[in-house]
Amino acid sequence: MSNSSVGQSLPRPDALGKVTGQTRFSGDLSRPGMLHMKILFADRPHARVKHVETGNAQAAPGVMAVFTARDVPVNEYGLQIPDQPVLCGPGSDKPNTDIVRCMADQIAVVVARTESEAEHAVKMIEVDYEDLPVLTDPLQAMKTDAPILHPDRGDSNICVHYKIHKGDMDAGFKSADVIVEGEYHTPVQEHAYLQPEAGLAYLDEEGRITVEAGGQWTNADQSGISHALGMPDDRVRVIYPAIGGAFGGREDLSVQIVLALAVWKLQQPVKIIWSRRESIVGHGKRHPITIRAKWGATRDGRLVAAENELIGDAGAYMYTSNKVLGNAAITSSGPYFIPNFKTDVYGVYTNQLPSAAFRGFGAPQALFMAELQMNKLAEKLGMDPAEFRLNNALQDGLTMNVGTPAPGPVSIIQCIHAARERFQWNKYRRRRTKPHIRRGRGFAAGFKNVGFSFGYQENCWAKVEIHGDGDIERVIVHHAGAEVGQGTHTVMRQVAAQVIDYPAEKIQLHTSDSATQGNPGSASASRMTFMAGNAIKGAAEAALAKWKTEERPAIAEYKYLAPRTTPFDKETGHSTPNFSYAYVAQAVEVEVDIETGQVRVLRVVSADDVGKAINPDLVVAQIEGAIVQAHGYAVVEDYRTENGRVLTDQLSTYLIPTIRDIPEKVDSVLVEVPDPNGPWGARGLGELPFLPLAPAIAAAIHDATGVWIDEIPFTPERVLRALGRIR
Amino acid sequence: MKTTAQNLFDLSVTVNGTRYEQAVEPRTLLSDFLRHELGLTGTHVGCEHGVCGACTVLLNGESVRSCLMFAVQAHGREITTVEGLGTIEKLHPIQEAFHEAHGLQCGFCTPGILTTVVPFLEQNPHPSEEEIREAISGNVCRCTGYQHIVDAIKLASDRMNK
Repeated sequence: MSNSSVGQSLPRPDALGKVTGQTRFSGDLSRPGMLHMKILFADRPHARVKHVETGNAQAAPGVMAVFTARDVPVNEYGLQIPDQPVLCGPGSDKPNTDIVRCMADQIAVVVARTESEAEHAVKMIEVDYEDLPVLTDPLQAMKTDAPILHPDRGDSNICVHYKIHKGDMDAGFKSADVIVEGEYHTPVQEHAYLQPEAGLAYLDEEGRITVEAGGQWTNADQSGISHALGMPDDRVRVIYPAIGGAFGGREDLSVQIVLALAVWKLQQPVKIIWSRRESIVGHGKRHPITIRAKWGATRDGRLVAAENELIGDAGAYMYTSNKVLGNAAITSSGPYFIPNFKTDVYGVYTNQLPSAAFRGFGAPQALFMAELQMNKLAEKLGMDPAEFRLNNALQDGLTMNVGTPAPGPVSIIQCIHAARERFQWNKYRRRRTKPHIRRGRGFAAGFKNVGFSFGYQENCWAKVEIHGDGDIERVIVHHAGAEVGQGTHTVMRQVAAQVIDYPAEKIQLHTSDSATQGNPGSASASRMTFMAGNAIKGAAEAALAKWKTEERPAIAEYKYLAPRTTPFDKETGHSTPNFSYAYVAQAVEVEVDIETGQVRVLRVVSADDVGKAINPDLVVAQIEGAIVQAHGYAVVEDYRTENGRVLTDQLSTYLIPTIRDIPEKVDSVLVEVPDPNGPWGARGLGELPFLPLAPAIAAAIHDATGVWIDEIPFTPERVLRALGRIR
Repeated sequence: MKTTAQNLFDLSVTVNGTRYEQAVEPRTLLSDFLRHELGLTGTHVGCEHGVCGACTVLLNGESVRSCLMFAVQAHGREITTVEGLGTIEKLHPIQEAFHEAHGLQCGFCTPGILTTVVPFLEQNPHPSEEEIREAISGNVCRCTGYQHIVDAIKLASDRMNK
């Protein structure tokens, strides 16, 4: 084909606006007559709000309105279950919405003529609290005598419990020659996307409440807003301007509902921009999980049994904990065949900030345990860790821990080979530089579902228009999938271009508007290339068929439905939870300074099966970005709280990697084992390279120093403590 | 320097070649002045206290953080923001390289990186990779992993030296 596009590293069309400052993020938007909003957040993590005194604030200069709980028609929201009040306080008809359960809770909003007037007035609101006991530890909160945080949702703080059970555990462990037991701790991680939350809301030409604020799923934002306002969905419109990063942290609503509420009440445009502190305190985080594990293998290097218990801190509200922890349950076996397997996964409500979606969605935590268990078993058996993994790798037809085979082809073996070869694992020689510098290598693998799981009928909508007379003059693609920086708008054009044989750069893309487009699903679960790719491919093929029958213009809509999945069985976890997986293996070399405890990652080889790289440069960019973010998780980032209060609430205290902190070299190996259902064989990628890095670094630290560190992050202090150099 | 009756300051500043005479409050940050008063929203604010570098602009050709400066400190001087580097029709070679070499993802940090790189490449037209890394070590990017940014700067330097 003359316009062959799939497989080409085309530049991003959105880069032109981004390098010239023309691109508009939500904080850059304005409209005539625009008012400004400021939110009063809770100033304590658990309390009953007895009274909110707004009189002084209402009388302050420039103030147009102050809204509290009693102004919200249906005072609840939540992506999975509506367990969070929009505004906490007395006077709403939902039960217990007067209770503040974490510092992210919002109490009131002030709308004023200027931002500084709103800021001035919000400080004049007086809140009368009755403090309640603060639960910060999920292990305490899950005890039967703990105070209940959501009394209207049952008599326990355990909000999620999944069980997976396959085979005979006693017989399995009896047949083991070596057993490794461990307890692992994974930390909270903050998304720290560079653009703090912001939004502009107004009434559009049809009088619809229109919210322009970055998110990850237009339709979910729309229905969350309309539910809280007690309106039908079509009275609310969600448009995405440019989005300054997301990584899962924009899946849950932040500023959208209160903006919509204010526009509805005042009939004037309203804008808000969160500060960095408001962003860090105001949105969810990666789940911290405590994991206990016991795994056994035979002398000849076969896994025979594994038993795990994962206790995740859900924080104050559900957000997507039920899905994140389901995914942690599945990935807690690693990408291996284990004949006897048992996992119990708990999610527990506490008064910490809500735990939420974050790149990897439960898999990085579960794999930190699984891959360290594998490395420790390999050491005990005296086997090479890559070889031990190959011995036990999942393959087509072998059952996963949920009792059914993974949808094929299963490519973990190819990834392990690819990582091992590029790293030259078998030729590795440890170089010595200085006496206090120790080098070592580490290996880890991982896997992750592509698309939504557990019985949800995955779907994705697209529309394609072909205009012209004799020749094609114009192609328009309509798709609402969120461009959060990953490059999906580029991929969408390439897909349509390939089908229609038309230059990708000439394709017009109409993006992210709930009023004109069907449901795209979320830009999460590494699903957008797979789902939007299939949807746009389907719509483009249908439009092209009409074009060929002389229909002018040729317009087609298409809704792609992915293969069906099933939910966990309650007792055994038996299921076909996913329709596609992607696989990854990584080898790393690190340097540990045993005097300072500093860990430097010298080299990362990441072999990722992407099925088909639609745009190879963008794939490599995703791998490099994910590895640096995972390196932050493993080595740099150190989130701290005290009694439910966030101590690291600025980028000066919550440090994320600069170019001086990152692995010195990242080698991306693109493995391409096509998924039969993916567009041109594509799987999913966005989360994949994140998954095995922390355990690979842990294994390398062990190789370098002889100590295992079972808790992330590997800060100098923790490394020195593990080395016995400090207490 | 003059202040008016309402304690406003009569600011005179040249931004992207245009001279502005405007009364501002002395406490107005340069970043807020550029974004809210002049509508130059290409200058982004990511942390409000000089950590992330997204708000970087050129003050008389030198990179400065506009969130750490008051607008009045730019009195009588020249500011260049990302909008002043080039246009979509006529890109600056550094902008062109970031477009071609995938030097960005979400793009929120990009204006600050470009305005850091412009004076860097003027002062050091043939930088080593190590020098490039040092030059952008005060700018935070959460998406790219930085390698494509380094590659784009190398490409720009090659092009500008031809």
